[in-house]
Parts: sequence; structure tokens; C-alpha cells
Amino acid sequence: MAEGLVLISHQFSKPIKVLKWKVREGSVISIGCVMLLFDYDGSTEAEQRKLKSTQAGTVHRLIAQEGAIVKRGDVLFELSPCIHPTVINDMCAECGADLRKDDLTTTASIPMVHSIPELKVNEELAQKLGKADGERLLRDRKLVLLVDLDQTIIHTTNDNIPPNIRDVYHFQLYGPGSPWYHTRLRPGTHTFLNNVSSMYELHICTFGARNYAHTITMLIDRDQRYFSNRILSRDECFDPTSKKANLKALFPCGDNMVCIIDDREDVWSHASNLIHVKPYHFFQHTGDINAPPGLDKHENDDKEGVDLMKVKTKHKNNKSVNREKINNVNEVDKTDNINEVDKVNIVNEVDKGDNIKEATKAENAKKVAIVNEVDEADNTNNVDKTDKVNEDVEKKGNNKDLEKKDNNEDTQNKGNNEDLEKKDHNEDTEKKDNNEDTEKKDNNEDTEKKDNNEDTEKKGNKEEVEKKDSITENNKKEPEEQVNENSKNEEEKTKENGKLENKNELTEEMKVVPDNNESQNVVEKKHDKVNRIAEKKVENMIVDDTTKKIEDEFLDVEDPDDYLLYLEDILKKIHAEFYKEYDKLESGQVPDLKQVIPNVRAHVLSGCNLVFSGLVPTHIKLINSKAYQVARSLGANITQDLQEDTTHLVAVRPGTAKVNAGRRRKNVKIVTPDWLWTCAERWEHVSEVIYPLNRRGSKNRHPPPHCSSPEHVPNYPVHDSPAMRKRTPSGRFMDTINPLMSFSSDDIADMDKEVEDMLDDDSESDDEAKRKPTLRQEVEITRKMEEDNSSSSEESLTGEYPRGFKRSRSSHKKDGAIDTEDVESSLDEFPSTKFRRGEKLDSDLDIGDSNSEGSIDPPDEIEDGEWNMMGAALEREFLSNS
Amino acid sequence: MFYHISLEHEILLHPQYFGPQLLEKVKTKLYTEVEGTCTGKYGFVIAVTTIDNIGAGLILPGQGFVVYPVKYKAIVFRPFKGEVLDAVVRQVNKVGMFAEIGPLSCFISHHSIPAEMEFCPNVNPQCYKTKDEDVVIHAEGEIRLKIVGTRVDATGIFAIGTLMDDYLGLISN
Repeated sequence: MAEGLVLISHQFSKPIKVLKWKVREGSVISIGCVMLLFDYDGSTEAEQRKLKSTQAGTVHRLIAQEGAIVKRGDVLFELSPCIHPTVINDMCAECGADLRKDDLTTTASIPMVHSIPELKVNEELAQKLGKADGERLLRDRKLVLLVDLDQTIIHTTNDNIPPNIRDVYHFQLYGPGSPWYHTRLRPGTHTFLNNVSSMYELHICTFGARNYAHTITMLIDRDQRYFSNRILSRDECFDPTSKKANLKALFPCGDNMVCIIDDREDVWSHASNLIHVKPYHFFQHTGDINAPPGLDKHENDDKEGVDLMKVKTKHKNNKSVNREKINNVNEVDKTDNINEVDKVNIVNEVDKGDNIKEATKAENAKKVAIVNEVDEADNTNNVDKTDKVNEDVEKKGNNKDLEKKDNNEDTQNKGNNEDLEKKDHNEDTEKKDNNEDTEKKDNNEDTEKKDNNEDTEKKGNKEEVEKKDSITENNKKEPEEQVNENSKNEEEKTKENGKLENKNELTEEMKVVPDNNESQNVVEKKHDKVNRIAEKKVENMIVDDTTKKIEDEFLDVEDPDDYLLYLEDILKKIHAEFYKEYDKLESGQVPDLKQVIPNVRAHVLSGCNLVFSGLVPTHIKLINSKAYQVARSLGANITQDLQEDTTHLVAVRPGTAKVNAGRRRKNVKIVTPDWLWTCAERWEHVSEVIYPLNRRGSKNRHPPPHCSSPEHVPNYPVHDSPAMRKRTPSGRFMDTINPLMSFSSDDIADMDKEVEDMLDDDSESDDEAKRKPTLRQEVEITRKMEEDNSSSSEESLTGEYPRGFKRSRSSHKKDGAIDTEDVESSLDEFPSTKFRRGEKLDSDLDIGDSNSEGSIDPPDEIEDGEWNMMGAALEREFLSNS
Repeated sequence: MFYHISLEHEILLHPQYFGPQLLEKVKTKLYTEVEGTCTGKYGFVIAVTTIDNIGAGLILPGQGFVVYPVKYKAIVFRPFKGEVLDAVVRQVNKVGMFAEIGPLSCFISHHSIPAEMEFCPNVNPQCYKTKDEDVVIHAEGEIRLKIVGTRVDATGIFAIGTLMDDYLGLISN
């Protein structure tokens, strides 16, 4: 007899007759489980009675036979006691034993339920449940899809944003007074989830806190149709930097039916069943607010996203009540004509009787210095954004900004001769901008400081105005504060109303909350003041009047993101391919998505024979280049030179030997690298017609980070990994020390060369970026000078490459020609590794910026500041000359 | 099980409340401090019914706070092993289901749910049901369960339940 077995004996006084066993050997029983049917022996009336178990465990052996008569004390069956397969709060869920107290042990260690980490089951049970899950999925012809939240299907910010944008939800997680979150759903999220949920069992897998994850899920899936309670949040993650560890627990039978969509592949250790999603960026200057610690993600922060400045202006346009002034401002924004400004001023004079407006003016006069700083900082910021050619929206934003700038400039130059009112109005305009810009203020602070000098000089003539108005200002202060108080009270009231958690009222809350937010903005940013408060009053009135009106005023923001449509197609393809393969295989065998997904991807460009031109630097082997790997992962063949069967020529710029040769062939389509990147992004053979190679060529020599080729990643040579670790900001250790200390001299020499290689790329984009500040001066020579200056300043930033400056200039003149002298030393390190390193590098690691080969990021904020300084200096020179 | 018992509690009162409303303040403070709490010995304090005696306050030297010993009667809820209770199902998953008995949350393992009831993850909401769909237990449903174990700690009580007994399971009206 095995150890630990318990003999269960008959305890009744009368002997019993066993009628029927209700359990079998090996079956698991719990307390109260019916063991057998019996009758008292010799009882006159035939009656079936049940014998129930008083202990939990597994039936080891049945001793009493059916039909046998058992006397008191005789053994009925052997029971092996409960092994506590399910444990919650250190308590066995089967027998209720306290595992802390009784010195009992358990093998239960796998938290199988997403949101309840304290509920654990043992390996055996996990396997059983996992198997049942797998079978069920196959029966329903479904797969598992792990959905990331942040930047995959939503984008959340803590910044202050206009309160009434459609599809933006506002919520506080930690009660009143805690920060507001604003969440924007990626366009088409609901359709996407709806369509995909028929093919996939959806799970949420996010690095957001549990509270956050559940709140978001409530927003996008109110009746729990898609996700049910399959929500894994940071609180349940085993590893703060990786989601991979939880896979084993969630899917104890293996992850061969698991597909993942996420905007970052590092948290999944570059798993091959991951579809690397193009990050969704709606709010500018906000990255992934739930990025794992040490892996902050700020790439593209300033470039992507919708410019909410514009939105706000539009929003004000919509509200015509009492808004002549604001409308005037908008007119000014839109015109270059100074006469127009004059007209507007007349309107302003008419309005002059209004107290608040006067106050505004006084306030504005005082604020001019700050206003201009912010304004200018923002402009330069936007200028940098042109790096990304594809982003139409931002382009528009830029143009608009430039116009504004020109406008302001024009009027300012006239400054000395102009009367006070005009000046005031001009300031008004800027004040408006300030309101819109304050969201970005934090980001611009560096720049602001540098602008300070310039601004004070420029604004010298305005100081008089300031003094005059300061008196008025003081007088106005008191009422102003009162208004603030009022709005605060108002806000609190509305908040209390909104508190009701009822589902039905949730929608109403959504309506009310935006305006709370608006008022909070006002309260928080006292310097926004009167201008804002005038608006607020109107807004509060609207709240009081009807909430419907607000609903009407929801803004539709033009959002060019349509990635979810492509993602849906990708997922459909994967699903179809999986079950096609499953049907082919013998029953019982299940294909592995880790192979299916790369296969699907490899069909995208199968049959295409690509040749690259100008895409891969000569010192990098073709097969090691990122472009090659991306194309290979899509199933294309890549050859070094044009061949008979070449179908596509991917060229960065026209005029290369390959392009000229390719033009002579009929069957070769010449496209820009953007074509390849788009194919990689959408997993489909995109029409070549959209990406013809024109005279301008393409700037995007490097693939965007999300066009990865995960299946190639594990092949990286081992000897590279220490270097990688050193340079990624993932190790917190790194943040505390100077990264330069940990590099060997070889490394530094290497990096030196990378920088130099980079600079022919950089100088191209720099060129583009710098055109903007110079435009306003419309002096071509200035531009040249500035270019030189700034490239040197960029160098001096790192302070490590004193010689790089000259070399970079020479390579710039060569315009993209490759330094062949670097070939040898760079060979020992895989360029793709470098690329990835570069891609992940952050602004907090300043070595990375000058070093990152694959960086398509704009130059950092600091550099903006440098440029601004240069620009300002030049501007001064120019102004004093004329 | 519910009990109506006498309990004691000490109220620490700030000097700012010294005034004509002092005793009122002590009472309201008792309600807020005591109701809804949980102790291992007596379980959850559901409601204070009567305040029997507010003892003489003792001023704490150096602070000015006053301590009032209060004797009161309250209804308490103390779950016991073997007790049968009505509960509301909160969540259903493949490992089992969670139910709430007022302030007490309770887990019922899959094995403690009659074997004829199967977990159905595909329907919305997820549920345990018999083959003929006679009995369907899903979130928000009311069930009768028996407690097989309790975990009492500083913040509350957690229970393990079972549906394996006569007359347990879904409460049908």
C-alpha cells in the first residue's frame, strides 16, 4: 500500500449493503461527493441511500464490492488524500485546507486565470485545462490572439487636450484629483475587434496597471463580448520587462495557437508568432505611457500624431457665441496680408468696451515674452517634423505654422511705428497660440531657455507697454481669481455627478467629463487666465443648458491611420493558412503558428526578385543589411546585381548605374524603398505604381522600426550580444553611469565611423529640416551658414568626435557616396545588430543619437535649441543689417 | 452566520470636536470606523444597532486627543466551515467560479461543481451548464453553496465553497 493512503471505513452502526459505486478508481472526489449508494442490510423497505465523502482526494482502490455487505469498521475504499491541485490565497480550493497552517505543501504554481494571480493550479491540472482549451479552439476553428493595448489599438496621454474630440475617452483612475487619462481608440477598432473575434479568442496583454487595463476594456468592450475577463495586466506579469514569461502559464500546452499583436517586439523577445504592429500615435509628444521600466519609448514622439493645435483652432471656430475675437485671430492665422490684420483691429476696437477683453489685453502684454518663446519653440519643433514625408497632416500643420509665423513677424517688424492697439492685437494672436501650445510646453522647455536671450532683445520696445499695463493688471487680478474659484466649484459639482458608476450613466459621464477637464486645465494653468476664462464661462453655460449641445460639438479629427484594416487582413490570412494546414495534417496534429506566421509573411513577395540600389552601404554585406532581411522575410529573392529575372529595382535615388540599367529593361519595376517598407507593414504586395522613383528619390533608406523581420533575429551572432546589452537602455544600471565609460576604444572607433557614415544621411534630412527657419528670413546665404553651424553644433553636442565635423562635411559634398575606408573595421559587427541597437536607443543616452545607424528619429530637442540659437543669432545679424 | 453581539471600540477624538456636539461626533465616528470592517474573531461588522454606553473620555497627555471607550451592539457576519449560504456569482472561468456573499468572497473550484455541469467559454457570458441546459450558472446568477474553508487575515475573510451537496447550486425562483 502506498504511503499516505487513507482507509475509509464504514461508520454506521448497522451493516450496510453496497448497491452501487458512484465513483471509479482514480476519480477525483471532493467533500460532499456521492461515493456509493447503499441500503441498510436487512431493512424491510428497499431504500437507496447515498454515502458522501467527508474528505477530498483521489479514489485509489475500491475494496468493498457491489452487492457485498459491509459491517461497521470494515474498509470501504482507499483514498489518497487531496494533493491540493488548486490553491487560492494559500488555501486548497478542493478540500479547504489551510496550506499555511498545517505545514502542507502544494505543487500548484501556475496562475491560469489572467486577472487572478493568486489562483494557482498544479502542472497536471493546467495541462488538462490547457488541452481542453486547445481542443475547444480547434473545434470552433479559432485561434488565440493576444492584443496589446497601448499604441496598438489605443493611444493614451496625460497631456491636456481639447475636451471634445470624438472617440477620445477621458477618465481618472485613482479618484478625484488624480491625473486625467485621455484615450483615443485607433480608427476602426470596433470593426476590427468585431471581425477578428469570429476567428480568434481575444486576450488583452498589456503593461498597463490592472486598473487601467480593466478601465480601457470597459471602454472598448462594454458587454464583454470580445475579451470577457481575459485581461492580463502589469500586476499579473511575472517579469516587468517581458510579457513572454506569462505565456507558459496562460497556455500550459504550448503557444502554438497563439498569435500576438503588439507594437513592440522586445517585450516578446522577438517571438516569431508576433505581428509587429505599426505603433498608433495620436497625441503628439506622448509615447507609450505604459512602457516597461527602462525601456521608455519616445521614438517618433514629436513627428507623429495629430496636431491638436489645429484641432483646437477649429474647435473655436465652431463656437461662434461671443467669439468674434477668436475668429479674428483665426483670420489672422490664415492670412499673410497685413491689411487684413488692420481690419481685424478695427473690430477689436469696437469690442473694446468689454471688460474681460481689456483684461486680456493687459494680461497679454505682460505675457508677451513667454508667449513668443513658446510660439517660436513650437515652430521649430514642427519644422523638424518634416523629416517624415508621408505624414500629410503634419505637413499641413507645418505650413499653417509657417504662415502664422510669417504673419507675426510681419507685424512685429513694424512694431515701432504701430499704435498700442495694434500691438495688443498682435499679442492677442500670440496669446491664442500660447493657449494652444501650452500642452507642449514641457517638451519645449529646453528650447525656451535658449530662446530667452533672443526674445528679450527683440521685445525691448514692448517693455513700455508692459509697464503701462501692469497697473491695469493688478486691478484685474482679484476678479480673475474669483472666476477661477467659480470654475473650480463648477467643476467639482460636475465631477460628483459624473461619479455614478452605473453603466447607463457612463455615457453621460463621458459627455460631462470633457468639460471638467477643460476647467481643470484652467485651474492648473493659472497663466492661461483671462482669455481662457472668458471661454470657460461660455462653456459652463453650455454645460448647464444642455448636454446635447456638447455632443453636437464633438470634433471629428482627421486621423490618417488605417492600419487596423491591414492588420485584419493579415490576421485573416494567418487564420486561413493555419486551418488549411490543420486540415491537411492527420488528426491530432496541430500546426504551429510560430511557423505559419512567418510562412504567411514569406508569401507576400514570393516570386519577386529584387535588386537594391543605394540602399545598402557598400561596407555592409547585402545579406546582413536590414533591407535584405525585411525583403527575405517577405519571401522575395534579392540579388546583388540586375539579372535576367529581376522584377523590382529598389532604389534610393535616381542616376545610379543600376537604375540606369534598370530603366532600359521593360520588365523591371523601379520603386523607392518606401514600397518595400509598405509591403512589410501591410503584409501585402502593394502596387508599385504608388512608389515610383522620381527625381527626389527617397529619404527612407532604413525601414521603420515596426517593419521587422523577427525570424532573422535569433540568428544574430552571440559575440555581439554583450555590446548590445551595453548600449540598450534596458538595463537600469546603464542609466546611472556614463555609457562612454563602458566602451572599449575599438567600440568608440567603430561608433566614430558609424557616425560618419550616418552623416551623409543626416545632412540630407538636416537640410530639409533647416529650410524652415530660414524660409522666414528668405535669405539663401543664411541658410548655408546655418547649415554649417548646426552640423558643427551637432558634433559638439557629444563632444566625442572632434574630427567628425570636417569629414562629415566632405562626405556631405559627396552626397551619399560611401566611405570605402571604413569597410574593414565595420565588418566584424553585424549592421543589423547595429540597426536594432540604434532603433531602440533613446534620448536619455546621448551617445545613441549620434551613433544610431538606423535612426530615422528627428534630431533631439537639444539640437533644436542649438539650431534656434544659431537661427536667432543669424536673425539678429540680418535684422541689424537691414 | 449572523450574530447580534456586544462589542467595544475606542474612539479617538480630536480636540476640535470638543463642544455641544461632542457625543454626536463620537457616535458618527463609531459608525464610520466600525461598520464594514472585518475582524478575524467576529467576522464582518454589518451594522451598529445600538450604542449602549460611551465611557468617560481620557485625555491623552501631550496630544489633547480624547479616547472614549464605546460599548455597542452590532450585527456581525461570521462565515463558518460547513455553513450553507446564498451567494451571487461574480466571475466564471475554467478553473472555477467566484461568488460573493455580501462582503465575503468565495471561490468554488471546478472539481467542487457537480461533474454534469460543464464550463462553456464560448457563450457570452461564460457559464457552467448541464448538457440539457437545465441549469445554467453564469455571472450575476444566484447560487447556494457550502463553505468548506475560510482564510481569515487582517483585511478580510476569503472562503472556499462547494456545490457538491444536496440542494446546492443554482437558486431557481
